[in-house]
Amino acid sequence: MDDPLPPGRDSAGFGRRRFLAGSASVGVLPIAARAASEPSAAETVRQRHFTKLTINDQVYQLELDDRVSLLDALRDHVGLTGSKKGCDHGQCGACTVLADGDRILSCLTFAAMAEGRKITTIEGLAGPDGHLHPMQQAFIDHDAFQCGYCTPGQIMSAVACVKEGHAKNDAELRDSMSGNLCRCAAYPNIVAAIKQARDQMHGI
Amino acid sequence: MPDQANAAAPAPLHNMGSPVPRIDGRLKVTGEARYAADFPINNLAHGVLLTSSIAKGEVSKIDLSRAREVPGVLMIVSYGDADGLEKPKFGNSTSSSMAPLASRQIFHDGQIIALIVADHVEAASQAAALIKLSYVTKAPTASFGDPGAEILLAKSVSPLHAEDPEVGNVEEALRGAAVTLEARYTTPTQHHNPIELFSTTCVWSDDELTVYEPSQNVYGFRAEIAKQLKIDLQKVRVISPYIGGAFGSKGPVTPRTAIVALAAKQLNRPVRCVVTRAQGFTTATFRAETQHHIRLGATEDGHLLGYTHEGWELTSRPDPYVVGGTDTTSRLYAYGAVSTKVNLVRADRNTPGFMRSPPETPYMFALESALDELALKLKIDPVEFRRLNDTMTDPISGKPYSSRSLIACFDQAAKAFGWSGQPKTPRSVRDGDWLVGQGCAAAVYPTIAGPATARVRLSANGAVRVQTASHEIGNGIRTVAAQMAVERLGTDVAACTVEMGDTNLPPAPVAGGSNSTASVCSAVLKASDAIRKTLFDAAIGGKGALAGRDPSTLDLKAGHVVGADGTQVALSDLFDSMGIGVIEHYAEFIPEGMKPDAVQELYAGQGKLSGGPKGKMLQYAFGAEFVEVRVHSRTGEIRVPRIVGAFAAGRIMNIRTARSQLMGGMIWGISAALLEATEVDRTLARYVNRDLADYMVPVNADIQQVDVILVPEDDMTVNPAGVKGLGELGNVGTTAAIANAVYQATGVRVRDLPIRLDALV
Amino acid sequence: MQPFFYERADTLEAATRAMSGRPGAAGDVQFIAGGTTLVDLMRLDVMRPDRVIDINPLRGGLNQIEVTAQGLRLGAMVRMAEAAQHPHIVSDYPVIAQALNLAASQQIRNMASLGGNLLQRTRCDYFREASFACNKREPGSGCAALNGINRQHAVLGTSDHCIAAYPGDLAQALIALDAVIEVTGPEGRRMLPLADLHRLPRDTPHLETNLRPGEIITLITVPAGVWTRRSRYVKIRDRDSYAFALASAAVAIDLDGETVRQARIALGGVAARPWRAREAEAALAGQALDEASATKAAERAFAEASPREHNGFKVALGKATLVRALLETRDMKV
Repeated sequence: MDDPLPPGRDSAGFGRRRFLAGSASVGVLPIAARAASEPSAAETVRQRHFTKLTINDQVYQLELDDRVSLLDALRDHVGLTGSKKGCDHGQCGACTVLADGDRILSCLTFAAMAEGRKITTIEGLAGPDGHLHPMQQAFIDHDAFQCGYCTPGQIMSAVACVKEGHAKNDAELRDSMSGNLCRCAAYPNIVAAIKQARDQMHGI
Repeated sequence: MPDQANAAAPAPLHNMGSPVPRIDGRLKVTGEARYAADFPINNLAHGVLLTSSIAKGEVSKIDLSRAREVPGVLMIVSYGDADGLEKPKFGNSTSSSMAPLASRQIFHDGQIIALIVADHVEAASQAAALIKLSYVTKAPTASFGDPGAEILLAKSVSPLHAEDPEVGNVEEALRGAAVTLEARYTTPTQHHNPIELFSTTCVWSDDELTVYEPSQNVYGFRAEIAKQLKIDLQKVRVISPYIGGAFGSKGPVTPRTAIVALAAKQLNRPVRCVVTRAQGFTTATFRAETQHHIRLGATEDGHLLGYTHEGWELTSRPDPYVVGGTDTTSRLYAYGAVSTKVNLVRADRNTPGFMRSPPETPYMFALESALDELALKLKIDPVEFRRLNDTMTDPISGKPYSSRSLIACFDQAAKAFGWSGQPKTPRSVRDGDWLVGQGCAAAVYPTIAGPATARVRLSANGAVRVQTASHEIGNGIRTVAAQMAVERLGTDVAACTVEMGDTNLPPAPVAGGSNSTASVCSAVLKASDAIRKTLFDAAIGGKGALAGRDPSTLDLKAGHVVGADGTQVALSDLFDSMGIGVIEHYAEFIPEGMKPDAVQELYAGQGKLSGGPKGKMLQYAFGAEFVEVRVHSRTGEIRVPRIVGAFAAGRIMNIRTARSQLMGGMIWGISAALLEATEVDRTLARYVNRDLADYMVPVNADIQQVDVILVPEDDMTVNPAGVKGLGELGNVGTTAAIANAVYQATGVRVRDLPIRLDALV
Repeated sequence: MQPFFYERADTLEAATRAMSGRPGAAGDVQFIAGGTTLVDLMRLDVMRPDRVIDINPLRGGLNQIEVTAQGLRLGAMVRMAEAAQHPHIVSDYPVIAQALNLAASQQIRNMASLGGNLLQRTRCDYFREASFACNKREPGSGCAALNGINRQHAVLGTSDHCIAAYPGDLAQALIALDAVIEVTGPEGRRMLPLADLHRLPRDTPHLETNLRPGEIITLITVPAGVWTRRSRYVKIRDRDSYAFALASAAVAIDLDGETVRQARIALGGVAARPWRAREAEAALAGQALDEASATKAAERAFAEASPREHNGFKVALGKATLVRALLETRDMKV
């Protein structure tokens, strides 16, 4: 049953006044007159914070606009371009990194919110001597990529998938890896690679 | 390389090359491979596009004032700022003739209106949202059948479709047929949606421009960008060493590039523009929706007598883009009489462009569905129906196929699949709650090659370097180019580096028409053989152990020149005796039948391709695909647990990469059959599902058993490498095979893609 | 994305105080937990908060799962992944575990909070693109979906102002089990049935919930009952994973032999808000659960459906999904 509305206020959660059309198309289209308070440019002072990020066991002190995503911080501010942007809306998984070992989407994470978490990217997976992680080697062995663009995200996701215990059988593995799209469609090879690496990782 | 055989690395048969792992594999699994937007550039500014939210009309007012006030904004390029650019002509290297900033007219949804450049990308997108636009809107035409749609005969307006193939008197043939079929089919708008976003990064150094952009066509890009900027093409360099998926989308230059270059020049600062996923739907190309009307007639015992195929393809108002798949379908079987017609339908949309097997994909869906329907009417096994109507001769021209293994593909795939051949009553097979059906269809793709050049270098220490401006889009071209060179030079891919994707390298054709392996390997072969000649001449000419030998008896093996009797001379000794450190040769390959100036055209960014039906013999690769589908008897979900494809494509350079291409192709086919459709709002003529959640492609869970059979085939007439392209073969037969299987499972014949549960529940 | 002030709330009091602000003051304030809805919509310029309050530092009961004889207590900040795998939820409340596991992807489940998941917003493409007419995003501007592409839209609970579907899964599982949520705000705590959280669009589609200014969901409680173990979530979608429901059904049945003592049914993918199908439940009470009675219940559930041009199939699909869910639940070995 819906609550009656107090006069002059709408129910919180989603304040009425802030839904403004994005690309400002006014004119003959039937869009209602805009609500009162658009911010004036003078009010839009950049909000920036010092953000300390721990990435691949290294600490970075960055001065970032609050809007910077973890993905953009990695790529444009730290120079780690291994994590990729495929959609910027959490739909393709190419930006998958690990935060305290959990696989997350870095494009939907504000960099400021990653402070205090240990972030691992594809660049942090191989050994210090360059020795490939079993998952990386398995991807090569099973041709689990073609263009290679989704591959860093696939590998990070796969490493976490195995550690989560979601790679026990083919059906579970496929479902658990479904958050990483591959348009070249290397899926069967990805599954084969993960199984090889899983067996090696558990044997380690 | 692992010793154990795995599914990704099957054992080579006959003339197939070994499953060498991709030589760029390590770079890709470590994140070190640099794609266009990964290059670190000093002092980079960031550009964001603003695009129209109407499909037809005019921008009457544009107010940049609030956008300009955003801290960090450096400049905004919009109407009037790009008047110095040359307008593109619609052609192979351009997506469209529509120059978006040349006038305020809006031709399609999502047309570029401005480029906002700022010192950080957040400011640029913030500013873009603050630009105030006023439009005068006109009612747009969205697609087929909408008011204002203009239907034209394709051959009258498009150089891409010169004629409608026909032969004989098809009306008479159909009148005499014991059994006929008439049906209409449709395919939807589709978008390539590679995972890598489109982007352009422009860096000027004085009057020289370097462009980093994912490109399947670096030489074509260079020439076209130079033309639009009105500068000498020697002043432009395009760099694209790795492309994160293309499928045709990164072949033509789109309007954004020149605008970004302009901004970078005026700012005197490098500018990178990454196009959003949503913007990628309207600022680049797509696969147009099609409609088909097919009539077939056959004798009682299954011999075809006549085939008519009329197609309608959508295009934009100004650009007559057409795929004309009847050019392939009309030659495929012993039809008897044939009549075809391709129509273009103009609407207020962006211009379509090449998308993985552009002509074959929609037209073969229609044909192979119709053949299945006719086979059912005739009560003949669809495989036998293909056998009865197989041909080694083009019914249109009478020319022979240089090679054709269609029936071998059907037979091998049928066997591996377990195809019983007994026509089954629809809805007769169940597994629990799931209805099960099986279907099959043919796949075909023309063998195309283009002029290509390569430079190959052999060092005294045995290292090999291959340079050619070809395009690694995931096809594995780097690896097969290395394989070709080291095969001729007697060494191992571990000793070989390959440089590609840069106009500073000798040119190669656009990565289109699946020509890369054939064209590039032919050029690499020639250059490598020139090195062999230099070495053999030195070996037989001097005072060494092989002096005086007949050079045709010599070979290169593991760092030595060897004679037929096993006598060998070390390469390092030979280099010493010649007094040199490296041998480098440059070679050009021109496909048979092309003119000698074909290579000059290539350098000028105007390279042409040839093959398919055009030569003395028809050059095509073939395949057969068999699928099992399951449809939930209550809720209608359609799943494909098993697909088997057998393909014959001449010499296979690398069975690992070939298998992956074909597997990827079949999964593309599953995707097109069941999931993909760009939804067009018919009132607004706007694409509605412009993201990867609502434009559906398969996820890992959708794909289970995919079996690829490579059928051995020899055909040294197609090109010196004997290679037929197969990157665009695997997805051609899948959609019809699935539609045929869905019919068997459910009794419902779906003639409109994608096949969704809406039609079955 | 428009600029905003980012701050962290270390205590619940700080969070709700920040949220309530000064009534009438400029700007919208949003909480952020996993960010999977908010960052997405901010990047689309569909949501433009002036202040974003990060509630991830909040601790205490908000992050805990508690199992008692009275039922489940799920902290609103518990991540979907944790709840989805909790052994007690998997065994005793399978409909909840299934609804969670069938939602989104593992990455998103690792990030997203239960409370945030309940508050996710519609996937309507016209809502998500700021240049389309959308009464939910901009009251009075119209609804472009009515005469547009509406295959994914709702057939139940819609109005001529909005036909957007509620896209989530967890909410259906919870309301089928009569979940009650605790919300905390400047005026203190209150409990409300989860079924009363979401509003129908009517002529105010921009008002999606009955949360008051400054309120935040802090706890989800699910009463224990014999029906919770015999429960199931069936989700039908175009592809096998990582997709929103075309139709779904959360079902929990108190079965006495072959007879239904009480059925609990909630529908997803087909309605403007999480949809408790009480008419269908009534049709099953005291009946043997078989094809015929399940079909009759499904007919009742969709009797008031209003399909549009492209989503008519959802009526048949919604019914089939419910029948399937009922029979599969009946057949569970519990």
